[in-house]
Amino acid sequence: MKKCFTIVLLIAFALVANMSLVSADDMWWADAAAPYAGTTIRGVSESTPPSNYVADVLAAQFTELTGINVEFETTSWDQMYSKAINDMEANTGIYDFVYIEQDIIYSYLAQDYLVNLTQFAADNMDLASADYDEMAFTSFADYFKNADGDLFGVPMEAFVKVYLYRKDLFEDADIMAAFEEEYGYPLAPAENFEQYADNAMFFTAYGEMMDMDLWGTTVQGSTGHPASTYEFLESIGPSFGLYNWGINLDAGSAQSANGGALDGDTAVEALSFWLSMLPYAPPEATSSTWDEVASSFAAGRAAQGWVYGENAAWIATDESRSAVTGNVGVRLPVTAPGVIEAAQMGEGYIGYYDGGAFGIPHSSRNKEATLLWLQFIGQPAVQAEWAAAGARITHTATFDDPLIAEQDMKVDGYYTLLEEQGPLFAGAPPFPFHAQVREIIDPFIQRAILGELTPADALSQAAMAVDEELARLGYGM
Amino acid sequence: MRNPRVGWALLSPTLIILLIFGFAPFLYVLFVGFNQWNVFSADDGLVFNGLDNFRRLVFDDDFLHSVGLTARFAIFAIGSEVVLGFVLAQMLTRDFPGKSLFRIIHTFPLMVAPIAVGAIWRLLVIPGFGPVPFFLDRYFDLTYQIGSYPDQALMTSVLMDIWHWTPFVTLTMLAGLSSIPREPVEQAKVDGANRLQVFWYVTLPFLRPVLLTTVFIRIMDAIRTVDEVWMLAGGGPGTRFTGIYIWRVVFPRTDYGYGSSISLITLYLTIVLCWLLFIAISGRRKGEVE
Repeated sequence: MKKCFTIVLLIAFALVANMSLVSADDMWWADAAAPYAGTTIRGVSESTPPSNYVADVLAAQFTELTGINVEFETTSWDQMYSKAINDMEANTGIYDFVYIEQDIIYSYLAQDYLVNLTQFAADNMDLASADYDEMAFTSFADYFKNADGDLFGVPMEAFVKVYLYRKDLFEDADIMAAFEEEYGYPLAPAENFEQYADNAMFFTAYGEMMDMDLWGTTVQGSTGHPASTYEFLESIGPSFGLYNWGINLDAGSAQSANGGALDGDTAVEALSFWLSMLPYAPPEATSSTWDEVASSFAAGRAAQGWVYGENAAWIATDESRSAVTGNVGVRLPVTAPGVIEAAQMGEGYIGYYDGGAFGIPHSSRNKEATLLWLQFIGQPAVQAEWAAAGARITHTATFDDPLIAEQDMKVDGYYTLLEEQGPLFAGAPPFPFHAQVREIIDPFIQRAILGELTPADALSQAAMAVDEELARLGYGM
Repeated sequence: MRNPRVGWALLSPTLIILLIFGFAPFLYVLFVGFNQWNVFSADDGLVFNGLDNFRRLVFDDDFLHSVGLTARFAIFAIGSEVVLGFVLAQMLTRDFPGKSLFRIIHTFPLMVAPIAVGAIWRLLVIPGFGPVPFFLDRYFDLTYQIGSYPDQALMTSVLMDIWHWTPFVTLTMLAGLSSIPREPVEQAKVDGANRLQVFWYVTLPFLRPVLLTTVFIRIMDAIRTVDEVWMLAGGGPGTRFTGIYIWRVVFPRTDYGYGSSISLITLYLTIVLCWLLFIAISGRRKGEVE
């Protein structure tokens, strides 16, 4: 009896202590935010699972703690860029925080659009939360730092584009036997491009034979959206050994003759392979951006494919949106011989380490309140649930969280892959002209998808056009 | 005697608004059009470059292609809308069961925002999920993929525009038909004219001002079409019209100088086109006065 009483007493004490700690935290946020209570801060981002979590969950929590209202637009990728850049360029101050995709950070820094968060926090120590620590972020945060190591964006999502496959198909005994009979080797997730192509052909034929809506691969091949260029330049190209979009920044050229590689043999081989997968992709492939690719895979329409990791969690676990829950396998994307070894030696990468951060534009009229908000979303306490919902991890410690360990099993080790193999991937090259040059390349990739240009012609013309644009922008030869 | 100052005073709010929101931005675009200005270039300021932007666009295959596509889009869409609109307006001049209901349903697309029209049509035609490709494939063995076939994307854009804007043409035609006096029509019939002759020699001349205005408005709309088509196909091959091309140059490419020059040329082409059409339809010659 006495022992029971002691245990109850200890539990009660622990609860009270915990509550007082939470209250102390809450008190700090309320006190720090008191001068800004009632202020409304506005932000814009692409509508992605991690951003939607911010809009639906974190914004409300922050408002409840601080009294600062957060109006957060989650819109299309194109609109997000237009709105943010126009606002920052015109200095209108509509947005207090903007989404900075990793690949655009160099353009923003070159234009001095963003507030140095490290410096700003140091100048406003009364707003510095004890729970926020720049050192807690994974090395992905390095992409948002300047040469002095100062941070310009609080990382809010980070993921890699992985190879997903349907375990229910790949582990089906009848299907495995049929594959082995036809190809002479066992069915397995692809480890090289030949195997990938065999898998794609087999499952497309299988879907047709069984009258199923099933195809052999995804292809992010929208002919009306830059997504197709991105899949080629940032996923397929690197897996063949084509790095930095084939642009030699030192030489200021994309043409092989001038030191570039966009029209080289490796690029042509990569594009030829990717285009050869189109007949084995669902019919929506040529209208698919990253969102539609994830939806197609979730609908069970592709046996394997390249899918952005931010979608891995919901595809594998959310039964209300996915028909393949519990059957999703995750692997590294297929690579050409020598590419992984080069990545391990730091001489290349196998795919795109995607992600983004929230930064404060100089044009913001509410920088102090926004600094509090960015620290709030950057504190460890909110990371695990956010990571489970959006398959994104920006804090090193989040990998060890029990919630993530549990989720990791449901997503076939995606989080472990992100932690252990993440260094094989890399962010976009440090171009201050990212969107400008990509816009130039888009039409050539799209015409190659339509079959109007051969891969060699498309890349040759693209490289020439890139060089002209680089010269016009002042970065060329 | 009327005081002209009162008239100017009453007009002044409108004139001021027009000056601020219409004329001033136009002058700004005119100014920027003669400069090189890309905020992400190594030298991100405005650099006067004379007629270079205009020289560049003459040799810009993508721009010329977009003009050709826009012309095809405008011809197919407006031509169909005028014919359909006239037929429907004729129908609505007569009584038939369910006429009121038909008129409401027929006018419904006009009330839908262009971006929503684009979304509706995208959901209808998106390969793999949309009902249109599904049924065309199942019952007619036809492959319908707007992402893979530029002609299909163009014709889908035309159909979408017809669906959206034919009611507008119908309503203007109906107003025109309602205003035609009965006497000339009856006189022509008494004189032995058949229905085609009545239409050609009586109805059409009376309709000419309405027709002219309607076609002008639709041409200007067609040339600046962006949102519907953007939503439908993202401005990919087959739908990269001039408006979408301008958007791409000005926003993602942030090439403000070149984008402004294309905008100016597009405005110029629109004015010239409308003037030529005005002469063709109205039959006016140099020096003629109404």
